[in-house]
Amino acid sequence: MRQFFPVEDLARDERFVQTNMAERMKDGRTAIDVEKTSSAKSRGASKRLTPDRHDASDAARGLMHGIMVGEIQALEGAGRTAHDFATGDGTNDTVPFELKLDMARQAWDEARHVEISAKLSDWMGTELGEFAENTVLFEAACSNDPILRLAGVNRALEGLAIDVFTQMKEFGDIAGDPYLEFCEDWMLADEVTHVKMGSDWLRKVTANDPDRRTKALEFQQVVDKLFSFGGARGESEESSFSLAKRFRELAGFTDDEVDTISQMDHEALEERKEAVRKYRERVGADA
Amino acid sequence: MSDVTATHSTAKVTVSPEEFAFVKYDATEIATIVAELAEQLGIANPIRVVVDETTPLAKVYEEIDAASSDATITLHAESGALEDRKHPMSFSPTGARESLGRILLRAHDRMRTDFADAPGDLDLTLEQNAAWDTYCAGRLARMGVETNQQRWRYNHRNRFGFNDDVDEMFDRLWSSDDLGWADVASGG
Amino acid sequence: MGNAPVRSDTESTARAPFAPWDRRDIPGSFSVEETARRVGNYKWTEMKLFEALGGWVATVPELDVKMRLGTHCYHHAWHADLWHKRLPELREMKPERLTVPANEAMERFIEAMTEPEAPELTIEKLVGVYRVLIPRFIAAYTYHRNNTSEITDAPTIRSINFILQDEFDDWRDGEMLLQSLITTPEHVRRAAEQQATLEAIMVEAGGITGADSIGTGVTTTTEGGV
Repeated sequence: MRQFFPVEDLARDERFVQTNMAERMKDGRTAIDVEKTSSAKSRGASKRLTPDRHDASDAARGLMHGIMVGEIQALEGAGRTAHDFATGDGTNDTVPFELKLDMARQAWDEARHVEISAKLSDWMGTELGEFAENTVLFEAACSNDPILRLAGVNRALEGLAIDVFTQMKEFGDIAGDPYLEFCEDWMLADEVTHVKMGSDWLRKVTANDPDRRTKALEFQQVVDKLFSFGGARGESEESSFSLAKRFRELAGFTDDEVDTISQMDHEALEERKEAVRKYRERVGADA
Repeated sequence: MSDVTATHSTAKVTVSPEEFAFVKYDATEIATIVAELAEQLGIANPIRVVVDETTPLAKVYEEIDAASSDATITLHAESGALEDRKHPMSFSPTGARESLGRILLRAHDRMRTDFADAPGDLDLTLEQNAAWDTYCAGRLARMGVETNQQRWRYNHRNRFGFNDDVDEMFDRLWSSDDLGWADVASGG
Repeated sequence: MGNAPVRSDTESTARAPFAPWDRRDIPGSFSVEETARRVGNYKWTEMKLFEALGGWVATVPELDVKMRLGTHCYHHAWHADLWHKRLPELREMKPERLTVPANEAMERFIEAMTEPEAPELTIEKLVGVYRVLIPRFIAAYTYHRNNTSEITDAPTIRSINFILQDEFDDWRDGEMLLQSLITTPEHVRRAAEQQATLEAIMVEAGGITGADSIGTGVTTTTEGGV
């Protein structure tokens, strides 16, 4: 077995079709109103994923499928980090024994999340592989530096999971769906643990290596912006889900870090709007 | 506009836009699917299909000029409603049959006198919309159109609640074939 | 305590240190040093196993297998942690020193077991773990539990009992996955060949702790045995 495993080789059964961020960004369609530059409402309605949206159940099904494939990739990422690095003191591409144990624990947690998500998909009437799988999450787990992986996966990806689960939990709560609310609540608890795990190891392993810490945090910002999915996450009503600030605090994010992510989400939304505007000009379509 | 009159159907179907710029859809293929569905339902009205390809959302609704056999039926679909979700921006014949079939059934219902009181699609409440969707999806399934019942059950529960009474209401609507608007609105 | 009942002078509290039903005894086959050596071998092998399971998750297309590997990955990591914490209690203050394979053949076994990577080799991956390595773990742990001192080495026995429960459960999971995957004569051939290849190396190694893994090979030591 190779030491590092490329995203293109992720093994899936024939039901799953994979795509990536570059492919997704070729899609010139958007549900957001590209003519607005602030957080005004688009197409006359909020895009926040709440039960009062006309397409609420389908939107929830789509997001839930995204969560499921994200959990599969998180499972694969944690497993690879448990495998790919030799045990050592954290320098020279080694990782401490206890960090490996944490990754193995995370692999189990993510495996349970896949189980939970598969059950939820069944409950919501979604077939496995019904939606395209974006492999962006595993890409963040492909770095050759284990600390960059922790920054990308545990801090950015699992942070995103906190935001999404919070939104879905609220959705289940408002819709009166006890099954969804119960499942999301439990998964949310695990994700807070995973983010904290990432924050703690990042601090420990880079305690005597400020350059490495800076590089890891910069990488996290890149991944965070990517995980905004062109503004799908953000404080604006045009975004499907928001930053779960309280749970992020529990997981070890500082106020400044939360503000930075919020700002990046806003930038990602505006950049996406600009990209769509340009695309529409090119195809000559009327927005 | 793409004009298609399927050989086995008397319905004249036109699709707008004729050429798609944002998605890889074929207007003729859409028209053929709608003509086949119209044939199955015995609809001879002229049908316009209007696709909003600038959004990936999946809202569909219909409008009909009057409750008569020569009135034009207009089917509106956001591009996501006809999309192959495994291959974004690509067309899904199965998805199109399911989405367009559902609103074509609504248009068909509207030609009945006991649907005269039904509000226009855009004026329906979320609950009315969900109940009618359940009624249409059940009939589509019996027509042989690929339909995921659990998806519609979940949609129904989201609007009416997660309990046994709601499930019974869903089952009644799903298995019915000859309801008036008052029946649909009151849960079958 | 103020409200305690008054005990009569004739009612004695003196009892034997071991109740009549408690038949545990001092004799055991392993010295502290030998126990530490075995525990070090256990830890090394459990580590290699959890790393392999974690690495394989991304390589198997079958969703149920993928999830089981992720789950079992943690089980073996936990076992490695139990042994890691046991080593200092056995006077080995640098656990890494004893975190080693029993011998060169054992190292070769792990290399051979972890060689399959391609997505169509799920049977080979599972055979190595569930038909060769885990049965060897069950054997070595059982031998250790049944031969160590029930009193002096109770902490090791306690860990082994927890671990054995996992091993049996995981073996059953893996064996059932294999039975569901092996459905043609070609699958049977592949499974048997992989098992034979790996078993041959394992026989060279003698088991998880070497030739004396289950007491039938060369016994390296009985020092300290009473």
